[in-house]
Amino acid sequence: MKKLIVFSMLMAGLMIAPLVNAAADLEINTPAISTIKNSMQARHGQLAGFYASGAVGFTRDGLVAVRDANAVPLAQRQSLNSLVAAENNDRNALYKEIASGNGHPEWESEVRSTFAQRWIQKAQGGWYYQDGGGWVKK
Amino acid sequence: MFPLCAIVATAIFPPGFSLGSPVIHDISGLVFHQAFPACRSKNPFFHLLVLIIVCWVSALQATSAHAISSISIEADSIESEVGSMRQLKAQFDLDGKVSVQGQLKARDDLQWSDTSLECARLINPQRGHWRCQEGKLVGHNMQLPFSLDLTQTNTGSGQRYAVQLDLKEASFSDAAGLRAGEKLTATLALEAVQNHRGWQWQARLDWKSGELFWQPLYFAEGGHRLVASGSWGNGTLTVSQADLLLDKVGQASIGGQWVNGSLDGLHLDAADLDIATLYPLLLQPMLQGTSLDKLELEGRARLKLKVEHGEVRSFLLDLKNADIEDQDGRFALYQINTRIPWSYEDPQVMQFSYESGHLLKIPLGQASIMADINRYSVTTSQLYLPILDGALSLTDVSAARVGGSWHWHLRANLVPISMPELSQALGWPRMEGKVAAAIPMVTYSGGNLVADGDLLFQLFNGDISVSGLNMQTPLGLAPRLNAHVAMRHLDLGDITRTFSFGAIEGKLDGDVRNLELSNWQPVKFDASLRSSPGSYRKKISQRAVENITALGGAGAAAAIQRSVLRFFSEFNYKEIGWNCQLRNDVCQMSGVEYTPQGYVIVKGSGIPAITVMGYNHNVGWSDLLARLKRVTEGNSTPVIQ
Repeated sequence: MKKLIVFSMLMAGLMIAPLVNAAADLEINTPAISTIKNSMQARHGQLAGFYASGAVGFTRDGLVAVRDANAVPLAQRQSLNSLVAAENNDRNALYKEIASGNGHPEWESEVRSTFAQRWIQKAQGGWYYQDGGGWVKK
Repeated sequence: MFPLCAIVATAIFPPGFSLGSPVIHDISGLVFHQAFPACRSKNPFFHLLVLIIVCWVSALQATSAHAISSISIEADSIESEVGSMRQLKAQFDLDGKVSVQGQLKARDDLQWSDTSLECARLINPQRGHWRCQEGKLVGHNMQLPFSLDLTQTNTGSGQRYAVQLDLKEASFSDAAGLRAGEKLTATLALEAVQNHRGWQWQARLDWKSGELFWQPLYFAEGGHRLVASGSWGNGTLTVSQADLLLDKVGQASIGGQWVNGSLDGLHLDAADLDIATLYPLLLQPMLQGTSLDKLELEGRARLKLKVEHGEVRSFLLDLKNADIEDQDGRFALYQINTRIPWSYEDPQVMQFSYESGHLLKIPLGQASIMADINRYSVTTSQLYLPILDGALSLTDVSAARVGGSWHWHLRANLVPISMPELSQALGWPRMEGKVAAAIPMVTYSGGNLVADGDLLFQLFNGDISVSGLNMQTPLGLAPRLNAHVAMRHLDLGDITRTFSFGAIEGKLDGDVRNLELSNWQPVKFDASLRSSPGSYRKKISQRAVENITALGGAGAAAAIQRSVLRFFSEFNYKEIGWNCQLRNDVCQMSGVEYTPQGYVIVKGSGIPAITVMGYNHNVGWSDLLARLKRVTEGNSTPVIQ
């Protein structure tokens, strides 16, 4: 009986293993990931206005970039730049952490491209994102 | 009409310049066509200016004979290396008003933009002297009102040009808005003499007011001045002497050479700079993303810099009575004095001293540091940094910058520091005794910090050793730490008093193996805490018993017969033991021994004896922490006697 249980567990494990391998758990949570997400959440309030005005848009590699700063007063453009730099720091760290949290650091680029599509899907109408030809208004 | 066309034709024939198909007509509406071969120009704007001037002169000359009051010229397109112009229309009024309109596209632009250049009054007071008053250059993202005064004279050694350009409240921006100016008012006076060796020039630029953003730098207001002289020829711009005044920051003396637009040589000497204003203006934007990007500075600095063949060869940085404070309160150093010389060729000795400061709220005492700098490495045999009543003594310190990142190693000893002061400074519960530590060779390389040997601490009258310490990106966003921790003979009395847990007397041994912290939070460990072997006084208070019981959560029962034992304030115990294996945020618990119902955490002995049982084998780690917090906070209410 004991042998049977061990065997069926082993079989179940073997069958599940390829499934686990095939897809990263993007919702995985570790202390590092929740810190990064909190930091991004706190920053989102500051960035949302810039997304809406088109000053900042989503890039193809899952980051954000200054698209057109002309709507932003000169005195604020420096802080806009540092906001974008800080957001990209967090995003890069997030992709890395999710990949290593899944036990596959080499999945980072797949995680990144999946997130790049997600950000664009979740973007509100009027926000900008990059496609092959340049900036596109959603 | 014929002389006019002849003059226009000569005007637009300078080498390398062409108009697609210019059309010239006079006020009567008669139109004359003239075709020119297409070719390219390096600077169509300059040639256009020449064309305008020549046409205007010709118009003046033609006036008497043909009674022309206005002339306009049109061109389909003008091509050049820097961009293209099309639908060009120039108009000359005989009262001196000149305007040119057209569409402009710079080489990298995708779209054409309407551009116009006009002079409300273009006058020629004497031969070789031109003045454009109330001039205006308007284009996409550009609004440049100006006046221009140009004098050309022949001197014995060559042609001499003097230009005075006044910008009044000018605004411009590139497409992304990353290089933009608003309401800029500035004056440029330039004198240049052309001779067989090239150009000799001197210039003075006064930036009077207006703001400028030139990524990543931002200048909120004017008041800056540059006076410079030098030469230009064969693609080499030489600044033999320049004095730069940055308002509220200080002055710098500069010389340099740019070959084909890139920096070749530079020497800069700024004797007395105010770092309080220099930091936000120039340093902060450059330090963005490092741990030095949110500072507040006070004090003065001297900076010398020498660049040869595009490479920094030497610099000198002296700080005088400088104060540095991190805006997030992570660190501060006061009354810093430094002499940091650096040379590519020769080893140097740097000095760095400060009067006081703090690091993560831990007070630092006066320190003076000397170190050897040898190209890209810094070494010092001994560093003594006073901390409270003790010190951190570092030896074998060596740091090197290789491949754009820092690598360093050091050994350290913590000269005993009183815990009451240290715990207070860190905002921890008050701890008694002293802490001392011996830290073996620690190496940091490629974002990884590795300790080569065991870190030994003395705390709570016992010993704590940390082995196999390995940290990844300790200063990064998601730091990770791996280590094994062993504790021996810690005084339980000190620990329980510190954390207001309820008194337990005795000694504690512990091992936390396979400890893994992510962002300083435990994600994995195998912990085992137990009474130290040996004979010593073993007492546990009623309150500690209740607290251990409470940790078991709702429904957990202790084998405490209140009816009998409530009269005792403390009990004897034989052994305490608690193990927790943390995996996936769940702590799998056990104790000294198993019973059919659960496991024993506190095993009693003698009379009155008490046994504390645990029944939950698996508890969520965050639940356990929350309970522990409730227990210690609930017990820490102050007692006023």
